[in-house]
Amino acid sequence: MSAAFVYYTTTILVYLGVDILAVWSLNLQYGVTGIYNFAWIMFQAVGAYTAGVLTLGPDTSNGGFQQYILGVRLPEPLPVLVAGAVAGVVALVVGMVALRRLRTDYQAMVMLVISVIAVLLVENVTGLFNGPAGLSLVPQPYGSLPLSSLGYQWFYVALTAVICLVVYLFVHRVTSSPLGRALRATRDNEDAAQALGKDVVQLRLFAFVFGGVVAGISGAVLILFIGAWSPGSWAYVETLVVLTAVIVGGTGNNAGVMLGALLVPVAFNEATRFIPQFGRPGLVDALQWIVIGLLALVFLWFWPRGIIPERRRRFPAGPGRATQAAEPSEVT
Amino acid sequence: MSAAAAGARQPAADGKDFLIADGLRREFGGVRACADATFGIRRGAITSLIGPNGAGKSTVVGIVGGAIAPSAGRIVFDGSDITAMPPHDRARIGLVRTYQLSSEFGRLTVLENLLVAAPSQRGERMRTLLLGKRYWRTQERELLDQARSLLDRFALSHMQDEYAGNLSGGQKRLLEIMRALMCQPKLLLLDEPMAGVNPTLARSIEGYLAGLAGEGLTMLLVEHELGLVERLSESVIVMAQGKVIATGTMPELRARPEVLHAYLVG
Repeated sequence: MSAAFVYYTTTILVYLGVDILAVWSLNLQYGVTGIYNFAWIMFQAVGAYTAGVLTLGPDTSNGGFQQYILGVRLPEPLPVLVAGAVAGVVALVVGMVALRRLRTDYQAMVMLVISVIAVLLVENVTGLFNGPAGLSLVPQPYGSLPLSSLGYQWFYVALTAVICLVVYLFVHRVTSSPLGRALRATRDNEDAAQALGKDVVQLRLFAFVFGGVVAGISGAVLILFIGAWSPGSWAYVETLVVLTAVIVGGTGNNAGVMLGALLVPVAFNEATRFIPQFGRPGLVDALQWIVIGLLALVFLWFWPRGIIPERRRRFPAGPGRATQAAEPSEVT
Repeated sequence: MSAAAAGARQPAADGKDFLIADGLRREFGGVRACADATFGIRRGAITSLIGPNGAGKSTVVGIVGGAIAPSAGRIVFDGSDITAMPPHDRARIGLVRTYQLSSEFGRLTVLENLLVAAPSQRGERMRTLLLGKRYWRTQERELLDQARSLLDRFALSHMQDEYAGNLSGGQKRLLEIMRALMCQPKLLLLDEPMAGVNPTLARSIEGYLAGLAGEGLTMLLVEHELGLVERLSESVIVMAQGKVIATGTMPELRARPEVLHAYLVG
């Protein structure tokens, strides 16, 4: 294997890890709980910017060519953890406003508007995160390790894998528990869930904040790998890529959406990268967006439950029930 | 209390009324769906709520269940004023409702529909999430037993692993009642539980309701079929045009001209 190929492969693997975190986060909110979070990408951006300014140090460094708030240098892995926490707090604030009294379709509109406003805000208040130019030259974590350039690439892949594993343990604990069941009930019929004693607002807020934390972590993992983040990275349409991955893979199924992350943001984007340019400049990029939109539509029309649908939970039956384990076996 | 409701029984002050609705009022736009509805529900029996279409029965159920906020009036349940209490808190103190239209959790199995309805589940608590299965497994087993005996009783055991969304209309009605029972109700509000159900199943639902009443469960039943109302309940509340116009037993009510008038003229 040539060094370039290894470099390419490892980069793709890190992207895949970030996208897997992304789909788990949005799946918990949309697939499991039924929240149309069209502002998802904003929470990834909150995590990315937070990790960025907590790694860059004071904005007088590098000749002071970029302006941003906070500007400290925290030791690893604090920037990632704080990024998750800050995204969670932002999700709590947004959720308290948007998820309380509104019907779900209005919630979707509010989210979309919030996402657009956030980009405009960051672009125009340049003191926040260096405006349209964004943050750059963010140092990579554990940079002092005695690793070759390719060795570091593999190290980062491993780091991403560990983060994915830890996040999965948390996400699975939610979705496989009675709490996950209550979230799915809320998704299927909000009024009935409420009439059975479920605090629907609290359940939604939980999923929203939990998903927000994971989104923030995914942003942190990404910025610390590529070293840069700007408003171009988180236009509202980016949420649709993650949403398409969730729909294609299988809403409500953690394994399904992983496949969606592999197919849509990774495989599709990489495959189309090699299409020779034709027509006007930018035509191929535009077509890419159109195809992603079509992909979501085609799946919603013909395979609304995705490639690997949500699992049907069966419980062991038979005599001596009380002695049987009550854990549901997950059968497709 | 308005003069129009003069034929209606005032809620008893003897403490026998489990739920007291006092002067409930609610408008939708210019339409007064519920105008000064006052009634009481006795403990341990089925009280029926009847009236022509548009009389305000579902609005009253909505107000008592907490989904609709009244513009005036108050509700006292088991001695405490619950007028401002949100619907999920009402369910937690035992005031549980079913819906006129099927409201199953379609992508949950029948068994899961029942399990999710159980109150105060350890596995639903967000704070103890990290403790994992060990923390809630025992309770889940108990709930599973409870849900399965309900399925046995309602003869739906063979459907336990089916998605609730795939059930027939009648089976969904049964599921709705079972799910409400899993919630451990003290007062069950049944909004037309036999609506759109074939006569055979309607008879078996009637049997289940009579059985539950025999066990002492208090119920408020909204129903159109007056023969069934007569068989199941002693006390009947008649509503017309948003008002309670009469209260009594079915034979008493049949003799009342205002009740006949409401039904014939609507």
